[in-house]
Amino acid sequence: MPTCFTRLAAGAVSLLAIGLSGTASAQEIVIGAVLPLTGPAAPTGIEEQTGVQFAVDGINAAGGIRGRKVKVIYEDSQGKPDQGVLAFNRLVDLHSTPAIVTAFSSISLAMAPLATRKKVFVVNPAAQTNKLATASPYLVNTIPLVADEVAVMTKYAVAKLGKKAAIIYENAAAGIDARDDFKKAFVAAGGEILADEAVEFGQTNFRPTLLKVAAAKPDFVFIGITVGAPTMADQVAQVPGFPIAIGTTFNRPFSGFASTAGWFHTGIKSGIAPEAEAEFNNQFGTKEMGFFAREYANATQIIFKIIDSLIAKNIPVTGENIRTALFEIKNFDSPTAKIVFDSNTARREIEVLKLVPPGREVVETGTN
Amino acid sequence: MLLLQLLVDGAVSGCAVGVVAITFAYVYATTGVFHVAHAGLFTLGGYIAWWLSGQGLPFPLALMGAVAVGAAVGAVMQKAIYETLMKRRASPLVQLIASLGLLAILQNLVALLFTPNMLQFEAVSWRLSMLDIGPIHLSLPQIWTLASSLAILAGLVLFSTRTILGKRIRAVSSNRALAEITRLRPFDVYVVVVAIASGLVAVPSVFIGVDQAMQPYTSVLVLLTAVIAVIAGGIGSLPGAFIISVVLAVLQNLVLALMPGRWSIAFTFMLFIVFILIKPTGLFQTRLKRAS
Repeated sequence: MPTCFTRLAAGAVSLLAIGLSGTASAQEIVIGAVLPLTGPAAPTGIEEQTGVQFAVDGINAAGGIRGRKVKVIYEDSQGKPDQGVLAFNRLVDLHSTPAIVTAFSSISLAMAPLATRKKVFVVNPAAQTNKLATASPYLVNTIPLVADEVAVMTKYAVAKLGKKAAIIYENAAAGIDARDDFKKAFVAAGGEILADEAVEFGQTNFRPTLLKVAAAKPDFVFIGITVGAPTMADQVAQVPGFPIAIGTTFNRPFSGFASTAGWFHTGIKSGIAPEAEAEFNNQFGTKEMGFFAREYANATQIIFKIIDSLIAKNIPVTGENIRTALFEIKNFDSPTAKIVFDSNTARREIEVLKLVPPGREVVETGTN
Repeated sequence: MLLLQLLVDGAVSGCAVGVVAITFAYVYATTGVFHVAHAGLFTLGGYIAWWLSGQGLPFPLALMGAVAVGAAVGAVMQKAIYETLMKRRASPLVQLIASLGLLAILQNLVALLFTPNMLQFEAVSWRLSMLDIGPIHLSLPQIWTLASSLAILAGLVLFSTRTILGKRIRAVSSNRALAEITRLRPFDVYVVVVAIASGLVAVPSVFIGVDQAMQPYTSVLVLLTAVIAVIAGGIGSLPGAFIISVVLAVLQNLVLALMPGRWSIAFTFMLFIVFILIKPTGLFQTRLKRAS
């Protein structure tokens, strides 16, 4: 009986696979995207999806890649690594996708060993944990990582803000990464850490930590938190004499508060051509093309550019060949960014931004 | 000056935890249920007030709405879940598991209906107002937290000792079997007690939400501190639980001045373990004793 059942199941899977592959034409190029489309991270995932779709619609409207239409299959990771791995396997085993666009550090890291084993080209356009740099030869990051941003910010802080710092970090992976990177770079540059305080993920009372850090009288504070910035900004206003603070892209939500005027954070330089943004807004009914939409559209276009070069040379579109071609092409200039691949992580411009309510202004630009 | 500010901030936080502790103790001493879902009701209160104030309701009405909803949900919990379990002679462990389930339901419901992200009371205009008392800086919501918590403590003690209903509750908590014989109807009393506790716990939840922010899953740590205060204060002593809550919160803050913040909670709870080893019955004499 088990044998019959196994055969039946295998037959059903084969039929399903044939049926699914039959939906795509032989000339069609199929790529995958594993994004958090439901759950708490869905707002980000849906914005990322619009970016991918914008790139796909754009290339198809222009006739496809050398006449071959492009199709993207979306899988919902729900923001969970285990679901991301299942989605990865579905895309590769059922649809033979040579390239997959991913999102979130934990999910990308969970996929990395599979990408190596199955030789699938995985593109991470937004996650920034340092481990992504060496997670897999087949995983490339089109955005600099936390350590890269911290290096640029630290260089600016040592030169312009002083050599005595305090740290407030979130007691979780991203916060600890940021703390370690800053501490290492700052001490190496001759700086001194006067206080080093953790806050818990989801904490809402920052007053004791802020008071202690302010009492240490540092020249500035490095803040590495991913949630609770508006709450912390409110409470900073209630602590007299709190010094200015610096941080990375995670600190963007500190913008717009009177209490955080004069603070600094780094940001990845990411632009968009006005006509492309207008087209995007028209297609998706938005008022602007957000950071994630721009980055995901650009990352998808990078995949298309590589596939185009392979087809032009009559080379099969496989994950292995896409990876090889990436380093051969190396430079990927677009209105979004000038991107260079010397390694698995893109080299591109990182801006130091000063918070000037209600917005921010660029005070320096560096690269990783 | 840092120590003084940390002490005052700790005392204010401690007063809020104190209300959670005395309301938890009130339920436990009367019904015998280890009501961990109280943390969920604490969370719910803040979100209800946030929603009501966002609908344009004046803050006092939003606060009253939160108290009313909390009381109603608490009463339903007691009537539908705990009473059913009690009548079926479920063990305290089963009641605790049911309470844990209710906590998970409440937290996830709040995350689902509102958001799992942090929320701030944007509609409350005075939330960032400050008051300087000498070298001490206090926000207006902190002052309200302090005042309302002390008022709730005094009110609950007076209610418990001076009113007929309060005395009836004490009678039921002292001896349920005797209360049944004398037609005090313990199950009805339990509903009233859980409703009172659930309504009152909304007050510090709302003021802390206004002062800081809200997140659906952070109330468990508040309840943990409150339960420790109840045990250390002497189970059944409302002022004891309140005072120990304040002491724990102040200690947590002051310890921060001496060591990195990540150690403050662990250090405070270690002190509690040492204390409970020395005095297992708690610090204060019990006033409300549950019948065995």
